[in-house]
Amino acid sequence: MLASLDQSAFSQWLLGSNSIWAYPTVLTLHTFGMMVLVGAALMIDLRLLGFGRAIPLGSMRRLFGVMWGAFWLNLVTGTMLFIADATKRATQPLFIVKLALVALGVVTIVMIKRSLFDGPAEPVVIDGPARRLAIISLLVWCAAVTSGRLLAYVG
Amino acid sequence: MPNLANLADLAHVHLLVNHFPTIGTILGLGLLLMSLVRKSDHIKKVGFEVIFLIALLTLPVYVSGQAAAEALKGQPGVAAAAIVAHNDAALGSFIMMEITGFFAWLALWRMRRIGRPTNGLTYTVLVLSVLTVAAVARASNIGGDIRHPEIEGGQYSGLFGVGAPSAPFLSAAAIKDFVLQHPFVWPTCETLHFIGMSLMFGVLMIVNLRLVGFLRGMSFASVHRLLPFGLMGFGINFITGMFFFIAASEQYTQNVAFHYKMILLELAGINYLVLTVYDEAWSLPASADAPLSGKLLGASALVLSVGVMYFGRMLPFIGNAF
Repeated sequence: MLASLDQSAFSQWLLGSNSIWAYPTVLTLHTFGMMVLVGAALMIDLRLLGFGRAIPLGSMRRLFGVMWGAFWLNLVTGTMLFIADATKRATQPLFIVKLALVALGVVTIVMIKRSLFDGPAEPVVIDGPARRLAIISLLVWCAAVTSGRLLAYVG
Repeated sequence: MPNLANLADLAHVHLLVNHFPTIGTILGLGLLLMSLVRKSDHIKKVGFEVIFLIALLTLPVYVSGQAAAEALKGQPGVAAAAIVAHNDAALGSFIMMEITGFFAWLALWRMRRIGRPTNGLTYTVLVLSVLTVAAVARASNIGGDIRHPEIEGGQYSGLFGVGAPSAPFLSAAAIKDFVLQHPFVWPTCETLHFIGMSLMFGVLMIVNLRLVGFLRGMSFASVHRLLPFGLMGFGINFITGMFFFIAASEQYTQNVAFHYKMILLELAGINYLVLTVYDEAWSLPASADAPLSGKLLGASALVLSVGVMYFGRMLPFIGNAF
């Protein structure tokens, strides 16, 4: 199954084509999605930790839509990159770790949205558990970026 | 993608811009001193702005110097030891310049927030710029020893003695060895480079989407609070990026993607300065639309920052970097 993905015409094109629109563009879109998703998540986490307190929490709600857009972009481009290198990635422990960290990151964002953004409007009280959630979210996203970036260097 | 400049062009760029850090820092320092004499906050602000812009311009001065060194390699009449000594002195003064530029930015940011400059930051920038002037002047002077036949030999022996001065405070060669001999350094820097990028872009996204008009409900003053985090992300990327550049400069000096990245980075830096001090945006209430100039500023910041990321990611594909 994995080998047949490796051998697929799509995979051959993505890796074998010298076109700038093949592998380089997919990889760049994946980087763009990461930057938007993680960037927005870090901003919400920082706000919950007390930086930029004057920013009304409710006005940040629109960032969740931005994050979902970036998430879907990266799911699509990430799947394309996976197909190109299926056998190697599926058996690479770091890749599994990366997927788990991204899933965990998404869970923290959904939990933050449920507990602080879906309730009544301002003023929202950011209590201890919310702050802890923000710290966990911050660390998980940094770890997810780290594991993703290291895929290029670890066997 | 067609090439922007060859090594000889870049060596020429180095000659065109290499006096800006010395003269510009002296100018900025002069403005700060004048602001103290005249008790003018306005002149002080201009002084900080000049110092920030010169710190920004020092980046192409340093990277084009690397290209100039490659262009000069093996040519007759060139003192190789003077190139090494100049490079080390330049690196030290470059770091001094960037630290000074950072504090000048911080002074501008604080000034925008509280409406007046603080003494602590003013004197910090003042002292740092005196040290920077000394460091860049020394670097330029050693640079002048590389090939100027009219002052070579005879009575002139260089302000700091003949050839290389005593053991450098900072050695570019030692940094290069450190990065290349430890296999963990490059991947670690790449990882930090991506985290720094996300942090920087998170701030740019909020501030500029607000200006363009997508995130209404936040006042500009409230998102202005996040700007230091953007600069923190830039700082991480500046340091890790310099590790890449020093360790493998020949991958970048002739890489057209790198040239575009540097140009866009300079423009994005100017944009960031305008965002920091911009009066019309500062007074923008939560629900109001920014004026057209503000929208253009926000849109250009987003385009420029995505462009910097694009050419950075394309370094191995358009160019030859690994």
